[in-house]
Amino acid sequence: MEIPYEVTPRRDTGLFNAKLGIWLFLASEVMLFGGLFSSYVFLRVGVDDGLDNPWPWGLNVQNEWLGFINTLVLIFSSVLVVFAWLAIKERNFRKYQILMYLVVGCAAVFMVIKGFEYKGKLTHHFGVKLNDNTVLEGELYNHGTNRIIFSGEKATFALQGGLPGFLKDLRGETPTFAVEGTDEKLKGADEVKSWFLKKRREYTQALVEERKRYRAEKAAQENWNGKGEAPPKPTTVGDGMKARNIASSATLVAEKPFEIHGHARSVVMHNDSSLSYKDGGIVNGKLVDDVIKFVPHQVDMQLVLPQNQRDSMAWKLDGMDYVKKQYFEQQKESYDELIDHYKDKPIPEKMLRGHILNFHEVHMHHDDHGDDHASTHEYTSEPTAPAAGKGEGKAGVDYVAIPRDQIKFMGFHGPRYNTYFAIYFTMTALHGLHVVGGALVLLFFTIFGKKLYQKNPEHLANRVEVGGLFWHFVDLVWIFLFPLMYLL
Amino acid sequence: MADSAEEIEKHKKLYALIGWTLGGCTMLTLLLGIWAPLDVGPPGPTPGDYVIGLGLAGFKASLVALIFMHLNHERGLIYKTLVFTVLFFISLMGLTLFNESDPIVEQFDTHKTVEGELLEPIQHPTFEDVDAKAH
Repeated sequence: MEIPYEVTPRRDTGLFNAKLGIWLFLASEVMLFGGLFSSYVFLRVGVDDGLDNPWPWGLNVQNEWLGFINTLVLIFSSVLVVFAWLAIKERNFRKYQILMYLVVGCAAVFMVIKGFEYKGKLTHHFGVKLNDNTVLEGELYNHGTNRIIFSGEKATFALQGGLPGFLKDLRGETPTFAVEGTDEKLKGADEVKSWFLKKRREYTQALVEERKRYRAEKAAQENWNGKGEAPPKPTTVGDGMKARNIASSATLVAEKPFEIHGHARSVVMHNDSSLSYKDGGIVNGKLVDDVIKFVPHQVDMQLVLPQNQRDSMAWKLDGMDYVKKQYFEQQKESYDELIDHYKDKPIPEKMLRGHILNFHEVHMHHDDHGDDHASTHEYTSEPTAPAAGKGEGKAGVDYVAIPRDQIKFMGFHGPRYNTYFAIYFTMTALHGLHVVGGALVLLFFTIFGKKLYQKNPEHLANRVEVGGLFWHFVDLVWIFLFPLMYLL
Repeated sequence: MADSAEEIEKHKKLYALIGWTLGGCTMLTLLLGIWAPLDVGPPGPTPGDYVIGLGLAGFKASLVALIFMHLNHERGLIYKTLVFTVLFFISLMGLTLFNESDPIVEQFDTHKTVEGELLEPIQHPTFEDVDAKAH
């Protein structure tokens, strides 16, 4: 069936149908992105710098060069699309295909760069908000030693599912474990693992048998026709397991304390005497060290009143004296810039409280030491002072060790970090989906366009024009996102 | 529309020019952000920076819409459709004006501390103080 007005315009609208369709679609897209831009403005102007949730300056938290390159990539692709359209008008299909492949290539480059940006934010850039609202921005030391150091004496875990979580976190020498309630002794982690697997197999086998027995007993009861002796009420699976003396969990008691480096992702809760794992396992013993090893790159004091900044909790951390000096030196420079700018006029309150004075890049390393690289520093289970970095003198510390109980909030720069990152991820991810969708459509026109081109080149030209309109819209949205998210 | 060889050549030149202009404006936007001599007003993102940054973005967006999307010579029906879009967009942006009449902000003076005292001007530490503490 021939669909009318695919190539020639309708007399009443003066347009071919697809063109009217894409413009109606783009109109709805403007409303979609308009709503999000409106949300951005609400969030941005709703914060009063320094008094509630501070808004980061894009330049401080983004790589503006990546944003810049991505903008150029999209602009270049937009130019290529119109040239591809002109190539069809010139009846040069090969040129059209090459240009369109380049457009799709640009989309791929854009998404790869975006992927690197996202990866950096979600796995590298980290922020720690102390209890007094001082925020340290930086990275976890040694790619993440966010561990809870615990000296275990006893471990209880289920004999189901995967290997108990604590086994993965064992460090150092594994002692001999006695299985509670039996005479069994297990030497080393490997023996514990094979014992666990054996017990799990026994438990699973018994469970299968008990379920089978239960189904048979239940069926016998349901099928009883009222004659003869009534079948007994089926024993539940749980009762059956108990009767067979099959335990669903086990407890191992260590002959001497063992060392655990609990990962914050697998440990759901901990206190001075126990560590609870996501899989339900519990290790009893003694908490040794609970610090976050962190390399600060920036100190953000927007939430700390000026008169309290000199007593910030941050400066009490070992190795931060040197950073403190840098921080106040930079603050003085910023202050002088403001005085210079406003001359005799009073400096607006907002500027004093905003990030200009209260957000600074700092460096942990002192040049005198000539050591600019974080070195490996392994923990031991020996109790350590809560704020001990690698001791090379105050100015040569590689990281700061922040006790977990001094932290109000911490996390990677993901959407939940603050409202800026929430709206950044929402808008850029939605835009990214548009890039992928648009590129797929254009790729389809490129690969499968030959037949249509041979039949009626104007038909293909119209399709490319419509696809191109969408592509330009995607470019247009990014043109606004770049300054808003990366520079302002 | 581009139907003759002459017109196609004309379009090519125009599209290339627009492409270069967009690239140049992007470079300018970046420089305005990162190069202090071009920064207007006090350091950091100020309302002036927003006006300039978004003004440039608006100019670039207009070029894309007018030239690449052919809105400089489009059929009347498209413009009629877009009138509604523009109205919706203005309304959505207009919503943000409610920030100015937020009853919550009116109830609390946000320039006061939790204790209700007005913030004192910033007290700069003397560097002797900091040095004394550091060493």
